[in-house]
Amino acid sequence: MTTNLWSLKSGDRCEILGYDHALDDKYRIRLMEFGFHPGESVSCLHALAFGAPKVYRVSNTVYSLDDEVASHVLVRITP
Amino acid sequence: MSKVLLMGSPNSGKSLLFNRLTGLHHKVANFPGITVDVSTGRLQHLPDRELIDFPGTYSLQAISADERVAVDYFERSLRDPDVSHVLCVIDATRLEKSLYFTLQVIRECTRHHKPVTVLANMIDVLDSHKLSLDVAQLAVAVQAPVLPVSARSGKGLEAVVTALQGERSLPAPGTTESLEPASDERLRITAHQLAQRFGASGDVLIRNQTRLDGIFLHSFTGGVAFFFIMYLLFQSIFTWAAPLMDAVETVLSTVADWVIPMIGNQTARDFTADALFGGIGAFLVFVPQIFILTFVIGLLEDSGYMARAALICHKPLRLFGLTGKSFIPMLSGVACAIPAIYAARAIDSPRKRLLTYMAIPLMPCSARLPVYTLLIAAFIPATTALGGLVGWQGLAMFAIYFFGMFCGLLVTALVSRTSKDHYNDLPFVLELPPYRLPSLKPLLRTCWNRSKHFVTKAGKIIFAVTVGVWILGYFPNFGADLGTSWLGYLGHVIEPLFAPLGLDWRYGVAILSSFLAREVFVGTLGTIFGIESADEQMAPLVEHIHNSGMTLGSGIALLVFFAIALQCVSTLAILAKESGSRALAVKMFAGYFLFAYAAALLAYQLTTALT
Repeated sequence: MTTNLWSLKSGDRCEILGYDHALDDKYRIRLMEFGFHPGESVSCLHALAFGAPKVYRVSNTVYSLDDEVASHVLVRITP
Repeated sequence: MSKVLLMGSPNSGKSLLFNRLTGLHHKVANFPGITVDVSTGRLQHLPDRELIDFPGTYSLQAISADERVAVDYFERSLRDPDVSHVLCVIDATRLEKSLYFTLQVIRECTRHHKPVTVLANMIDVLDSHKLSLDVAQLAVAVQAPVLPVSARSGKGLEAVVTALQGERSLPAPGTTESLEPASDERLRITAHQLAQRFGASGDVLIRNQTRLDGIFLHSFTGGVAFFFIMYLLFQSIFTWAAPLMDAVETVLSTVADWVIPMIGNQTARDFTADALFGGIGAFLVFVPQIFILTFVIGLLEDSGYMARAALICHKPLRLFGLTGKSFIPMLSGVACAIPAIYAARAIDSPRKRLLTYMAIPLMPCSARLPVYTLLIAAFIPATTALGGLVGWQGLAMFAIYFFGMFCGLLVTALVSRTSKDHYNDLPFVLELPPYRLPSLKPLLRTCWNRSKHFVTKAGKIIFAVTVGVWILGYFPNFGADLGTSWLGYLGHVIEPLFAPLGLDWRYGVAILSSFLAREVFVGTLGTIFGIESADEQMAPLVEHIHNSGMTLGSGIALLVFFAIALQCVSTLAILAKESGSRALAVKMFAGYFLFAYAAALLAYQLTTALT
């Protein structure tokens, strides 16, 4: 099922499919530099209360993304 | 002298490595117009080489004005014949984060025929987890020598010196396709493949980080930890700095007491006492606060907690156009705007940093406290309600503090919505670095550099303005009467400006002199009313204010005016230096004066109508 990165709950894993067209190019570039490539496996480590930015792991690096960015990253939930 | 560039992405341990290689003997400068530090220092073991610590960046593809300036600087440096070598630091524990940038650097160095060596830092962390990095094969893959090092333990640094000594003969081990013509997209794919091939896999490297994040980002324990840490930060600048600030004042007054009696001429004596020692004291007194706040913020940054704090605060501050990283500068601003403006350096988005600069002067700083105390004592009855639970004066103090913060957030919310500057904004994509024990020596060095920057850069402006205001207040009657001085004359000239607020020339003079520091307002009013030590004994001054015919409306208007107006030369001086824009400081001074005046007028009219 295709969804977006922001919809992940703590403990969920996914595979990145791409980015939607609403995401600004420079945001996409920065995400790619950080390793959020299509095909990459990402896990959600922490989903804080009150809509605070969520914490994601890509390989051995941990990033925090807010909904303005994460909701434009298209993913497929993986078991 | 030949130069060596030190490159690396943020959190790769580059600064610690720089300190190791230069032995902490370095100087710090800013890129013109932006708050990005560039440290330079001689290499400890090769004193004929200067090491330049390039600002940490994730890529050579700039996405903001700050990054553009930094990348342009790198490209200019590559054309500089004095640049003999480039060192590029990668985090050996997180290759996927560093390799894309490293490949970009290698490509540019190859194009400009500059030798480049990759330093695989944090090799000690891999060792401690019984992991390894195949540096020989990685060197072949990236077409540059790769040296395993540890900035923390010093391991492998001799090899770096040896590599720099033999720089001209360093082979570029290239058996794969040349990187020189590769596009950024190609490099990104190559970096990804190399990270998968050489990078450490499994959870072992981030196990501790995940465990600690489970505490610091937990809904309950994370909140408790956040409030406790912020409480300590607030204490450090409000309470712990106080004895040191008192010590600075005591030393200055002791020296003044010793020097001044030796001066025969009265005018020279007054100048030395009030302008010279007063002027120096006006900025030296802030040094302990700047030092301590820089130290505490450095601890938070180096330990990795700062990124977590930014994450926790981000959502509510985003509503006002700010970022989570704005919180600590704004909280610091409740003690003093000067260290708070320095603290805003941690904000990577130039746009958000500017908005934070705009909010800081409206935070209710400690210099406003004496003014608030005086005016509240004069106009708010010292009575209580609800059986003594609510004191009206305490409630008024709370209201005026809250009013300042509200205005700060209101300004940033309005500016962020009405003036778009997309180019200088950055997304909230924040790397959460591993938790680490901070290194004390480099941190203390940073505190020293920051304090020195304040004294040498902003101190000159503050001192010059102090002397200027002293001359206006002293002449032409040689300090006999402030009311008939040039400052007093100016007070009469601007009286029509403050008359709509119900204030006469005496309050105009006090407002003018409070430009040096807000608390000077109290002392100046005391001088005008002929009261000794008015700032320590407010009761007689309160009585004189009552007798001067000042109304409740004027008192409220003055409170509102001081809550908003940017009446502080030190803040303006450091704002101009940190932002690299005098125009910004002037615009903010003028803008906040107009805002303060309009709000004060409204408060006066409303209060007068209601009473």
